[in-house]
Amino acid sequence: MTEQKSLKILIADDNDSDRMLLSAIVKKEGHEVIEAINGAEAVSQYVKHSPSLILLDALMPIKDGFEAAQEIKQIAGNQFIPIIFLTSLQDAKSLARCLDSGGDDFLSKPYNRSILKAKINAFYRMRMMNQMIQEHAQQMVVEQKVAKKIFDNVAHLGCLDSDNIQYSLSPLSVFNGDIVLAERKPDGGMYIFIGDFTGHGLPAAIGAMPLAEIFYGMTKKGFSIHEILTEINTKLTRILPVQFFCCAAMVDLDFVEKTARIFVGGLPALYLWREKSKTFDKIDSSSVPLGVMSRENFKPDIQDIPMYDNDRIFLWSDGIIESRAKDGEMFGEERLENLFNQGKHQDELFNFILDNVDQFMLGGERDDDITLVSAQMVDIESLSDDVVVEKNKELGGPLEWSLHYELQSQSLRVFNPLPLVLQIVTEVDGLKNFSGQLYTLLAELYSNALEHGVLGLDSNLKTSGEGFAKYYSLRKERLDSLTTGFIRVILSHEPLNDGKGGRLRISFEDSGPGFNFQKMLKNEHKIDGYCGRGLPLIRTICEEFYYEGVGNKVNAVVVWPNIVENPKKMAGNYE
Amino acid sequence: MSEELSAHLDLDALEMLKEIMEDEFSLLINTFLNDAVERIEQINAAINAKNSEDIRRAAHSFKGSSANIGAHVLQGLCLVLEDAGHNGDTSLAPEMAKRIEQEFKIISQLLKSNYLA
Amino acid sequence: MTVSAQTNQEGKELTINISGRFDFSSHQEFRKIYENAPSDIHEFIIDMNDATYLDSSALGMLLLLRDHAGGDNADIQIVHCNDDVKKILTISNFGQLFNIH
Repeated sequence: MTEQKSLKILIADDNDSDRMLLSAIVKKEGHEVIEAINGAEAVSQYVKHSPSLILLDALMPIKDGFEAAQEIKQIAGNQFIPIIFLTSLQDAKSLARCLDSGGDDFLSKPYNRSILKAKINAFYRMRMMNQMIQEHAQQMVVEQKVAKKIFDNVAHLGCLDSDNIQYSLSPLSVFNGDIVLAERKPDGGMYIFIGDFTGHGLPAAIGAMPLAEIFYGMTKKGFSIHEILTEINTKLTRILPVQFFCCAAMVDLDFVEKTARIFVGGLPALYLWREKSKTFDKIDSSSVPLGVMSRENFKPDIQDIPMYDNDRIFLWSDGIIESRAKDGEMFGEERLENLFNQGKHQDELFNFILDNVDQFMLGGERDDDITLVSAQMVDIESLSDDVVVEKNKELGGPLEWSLHYELQSQSLRVFNPLPLVLQIVTEVDGLKNFSGQLYTLLAELYSNALEHGVLGLDSNLKTSGEGFAKYYSLRKERLDSLTTGFIRVILSHEPLNDGKGGRLRISFEDSGPGFNFQKMLKNEHKIDGYCGRGLPLIRTICEEFYYEGVGNKVNAVVVWPNIVENPKKMAGNYE
Repeated sequence: MSEELSAHLDLDALEMLKEIMEDEFSLLINTFLNDAVERIEQINAAINAKNSEDIRRAAHSFKGSSANIGAHVLQGLCLVLEDAGHNGDTSLAPEMAKRIEQEFKIISQLLKSNYLA
Repeated sequence: MTVSAQTNQEGKELTINISGRFDFSSHQEFRKIYENAPSDIHEFIIDMNDATYLDSSALGMLLLLRDHAGGDNADIQIVHCNDDVKKILTISNFGQLFNIH
């Protein structure tokens, strides 16, 4: 025992000779002594000198030791101030009272020097440890704040403030393991992501940052939900220790096609509120959480689900279901389901859920902060248009180039060329601001070439709900077993007006049998049926648009700066 | 003399006190003696008032400082009185108080002649 | 909660019995068992007969065991799950990683 540090010790005893003796012993051990002759003085001396240990007689006039101890402990708050009662009280009841009032130990008379020394040292160590814990806790709060700030820079709010989204999230959610992200896609659609990391605190924060970065970066570049999930999974599998992972759900909302593509991996079932029938569908978890599987074995199950305007998806981490009431009972799925069956207007549902969970937990402990998000299918017109934001002043970049890019069956099976193609096209500064429209155009032409040309799928299938599901399962089936076929993408760009504008030629040729485009061109409605949202869009932004050959080659010419700037207008022309 | 001394006082304890208190040893003894007069007055007052809780507290307090000074006989007598107060049995108290006073006179004499000379 | 284990006659199989709540508190115990298992153990059987509940850190421990037992090549069976336990394993689709009966 080498603690030679001199401590400030308060001795309170109304008995002069006892106090004198104890002071002498304590001073002999090298400590500084402050004296008090009654309980009231003990409290005021404590406040004045903040000693690191108190030796307190139990029976004193003007506030006895019990009262004084209670008051001192209250003043000390989180700080640990050891109080040793000086007493020869013998009955268990009195000793218990010493402890109840905040005493940490006893010292009986006659005083024994070695015992007193040992006790002072023991409590000094305890106080030091406590101080260290306090300091660590404070340090951790500071560090969490800094990390949160860094995280906010990476994960910003995205489009969580959109009119069709409601969300509730603890301010330090990244440290309770929950993360919510949402962002508009270049084609005007929207991704919503909710994740729940196992293991709170640092592992969650560390995983959340690259997750957010991948989510926003890839969304902006037009990657598919499947590709984004694959990338996030690969990253998390690599950086998180084996036992940590992220239960997640991701929704891809298409406001034009009125569909949701939904992934649920390890989170409780999502609810899809059907406004017309006032019922809800449950969408159960059907994939392994993110951060577990290797890239090769990661097979996210993504469900395609048609939605109607005002249908609403509710996503949550297990916080709600696992909220506990005072008696320890969990909120549970049944209660949650019941909330949806009470005829509430859908606009009220979100707050209704939160209120009910709060009420349920009244006085109970919050196991987990509550994370809840709802996203509504709406008319794309009603969403603020924050997709195209950049307005480049100086236009430049490569203006004179052409590209021939042919994908054969193996590539078509495993690769989505659109982000790459978009990247190349938007290297032309003048086209950067139109990346949303261009992406939609390219995506439309590509999916027509792939689905109708190479895979021979009939678009009429998509007009009914069951047909819709059938269409996508056929698509997957045929694509997975594809062994022949190709899609040839030919792009070229030339400058116009000394580089103040330009002309982009796009052509897609596929290995399919083509179709009778002459007949289709005479009947615009049929063409609408064939290209979905494609045709009106194409009319809006293309200077020229024509088929060639047997209908298996399509050409589009885009001239800038004449491209219509607002992508939602194009979609609006649909009707 | 030394036999009478050790019958009433713990000599080892007193040696230890000397060591701890050094120059202030006699001050400690004098303080105890002055204090004790006050404690005995308190005990008598409590007995006259038949207040068993006050008897208990005064006896308890006096017991503690007696123990510290090595006055083990006095400590024992105080304990009996404290217990009586604790049990609310005041019938024995006047008798105990008398014996405490007598014992105090003895150790007071012994301390003065052996330690304060 | 408690964890116990025994190897079968041929010494190639280790059965780990879990009882009570399977959560972070059993982390050390669980790890010690599979780390101290003889090296010729090829198959692990987690018997959940007496397990009442598992939380996400229990899922993490199962992943650690899987990693220890060879990752994608691990042969791990989880048997005798009650409904609550099965539900948690189902939500996480751990059927893709373990043989669950």
